[in-house]
Amino acid sequence: MPIHEKSLIRPENLKTHEQLVVDGVDVSGHWSTFIQSRVVTDYNEALQEEIAALPGGEHIHRCWQCGSCTNACTVNAVNPDFNPRYWIYLVRMGMESELLRDKDIIWQCVSCNKCTYACPRDVVPEGVMKALSHWLELKGHTRKSPSMIFDEVFTEQVIQRGRIEEGRIIQRFFRRTGQALGQDWLIEMGRRLLRRLPLGMLTRLGLASVRAPRTHGWARSREALREYVAEEHARQRRALGLSELIEGAQRDAAGIPHA
Amino acid sequence: MSKPILIVGAGPAGLAAAHALASVGQSVVLVEKAERLGGAPILSGYAKLVPSGEWAKDAIGGMVRRVQESRLIEVHRGATVTAFSGAPGEFNVELSDGKRLQAGAAILCTGFTHFDSLNKPEWGFGTFPDVVTTAQVEQMISSGQGVRCPSDGRKPQRVAILLCVGSRDRQIGREWCSKICCTVSANIAMEIREELPDCHVYVYYMDIRTFGLYETKYYWRSQEEFKVKYIKARIAEVTSDGEKLIVKGEDTLVKRPITIPFDMVVHAIGMDPNVENKSIASVFGVTLEAHGYLARGNSYANTAETSRPGVFVAGAATGPETIDDSIAQGHAAAARALALMQPAQARA
Repeated sequence: MPIHEKSLIRPENLKTHEQLVVDGVDVSGHWSTFIQSRVVTDYNEALQEEIAALPGGEHIHRCWQCGSCTNACTVNAVNPDFNPRYWIYLVRMGMESELLRDKDIIWQCVSCNKCTYACPRDVVPEGVMKALSHWLELKGHTRKSPSMIFDEVFTEQVIQRGRIEEGRIIQRFFRRTGQALGQDWLIEMGRRLLRRLPLGMLTRLGLASVRAPRTHGWARSREALREYVAEEHARQRRALGLSELIEGAQRDAAGIPHA
Repeated sequence: MSKPILIVGAGPAGLAAAHALASVGQSVVLVEKAERLGGAPILSGYAKLVPSGEWAKDAIGGMVRRVQESRLIEVHRGATVTAFSGAPGEFNVELSDGKRLQAGAAILCTGFTHFDSLNKPEWGFGTFPDVVTTAQVEQMISSGQGVRCPSDGRKPQRVAILLCVGSRDRQIGREWCSKICCTVSANIAMEIREELPDCHVYVYYMDIRTFGLYETKYYWRSQEEFKVKYIKARIAEVTSDGEKLIVKGEDTLVKRPITIPFDMVVHAIGMDPNVENKSIASVFGVTLEAHGYLARGNSYANTAETSRPGVFVAGAATGPETIDDSIAQGHAAAARALALMQPAQARA
């Protein structure tokens, strides 16, 4: 019968000395193998507050660990290690090091919101997942995800002009994520459009990309939005114990002029 | 003038029964072994009661006052019943203070005894001064002193509440659930968070049994409004590193052992059968059930019955019970005892 506890042993906790002599006895190699303790020795009580301070994470403290979110989860069905219930627990109890072990899969949430509808306590697990990704990024544990970059490009344009122009968004998104503009699907779309030759539409499209339309009288709204975004960024960074100075890319995202 | 009804024990059940009887003109002899009336909520210094949040000294104190003010209730403090014989309608009673009387019926409201945490030495009570019981925390709150570490009077920054201390524990012969400790612990956790907002409170549980409507007001509210944390772990031992208490166990949800420092550990102590139940059973000639509480004669048709006709029972004497249910049972037993006092032709 398999010993289930074996699954609890982490490879990095297995310690072996190639050369070791204890009291005159040679215990080199396999003979010196021991397993480091995986005991939790403290809770980081700030962790739950930090996640709760980020948008989406506000209701994390309601969770009672029923597992409805994980059972409903689209990503969990593909990757059993993707377990929102577990991460919510780690955050609530302040087991930060444990949480960071999963930093490379936490951001894979697809925001389908099935968990949100399954949750009996209105935790809004999808929001918590967003807050978690955001937290990992702000704390420097993960790089910005492509979807985060897309959101930034999108927001940037809205703040700048009060509306969006798809062509520009796509261009900037590809540029910032280091992708070629000549994507196969884009070329195919252009080819099919040309085949039908919808003159009116193409004219409008061309004009829009040249003129970059703005919402009339947007200047005041832009100022207000920039102010709000800057305040919100500063608040989040304060809540996470980070310096309030934000880096260039985030300034761009918030549409804040560089100093 | 008809014979009085004997009520043994002046806790919530006994006070309710005595008042109910007096209010319909029935005389009562109320015997209380302590020097004060009020039972556990008063004698153990409870703070705010579940579920109303009223202070015990106001809520139960009011019940004591109305009993003391009644001309129909004769109170014997610091007294016990030493002999009890006869039949329904004409019981002969002797009290330890020398009083002899005849009673038409008797209602046993003899309550429970708090579990003594010394019986779980691995959880540090009696060894470390900062390991306390829920009853002690109630006293810290009701005295106005506030929740402080007994060792040096400092405000705790992290408190662990261990549930099921002296309950659901076959190892020490206590298989029952004491029913109210989960709710009381959630209540205490919220009171600590209210008084000391910087203090983090962790509740270590096997199951949470904040039954019925307490779910919202205690279990949910303690998490949603007061950010109390619940950890599914049965604690193995409480030790000390010389500075802090160290709580060891296994966090079952992450399958990891825990060794966490705390300033204060609170035992949510259960309700034992009254330590005197054996002598109570022998004096009154009633039987005890398997756990050592007074046995009910009937589960449905007459819940206040014991195994002996004319002797009724109410409150935590029959098993772990809440204060409000004990009061309801006191009223129920009063009605049953009163029915017995009516002439045969008056009874339906």
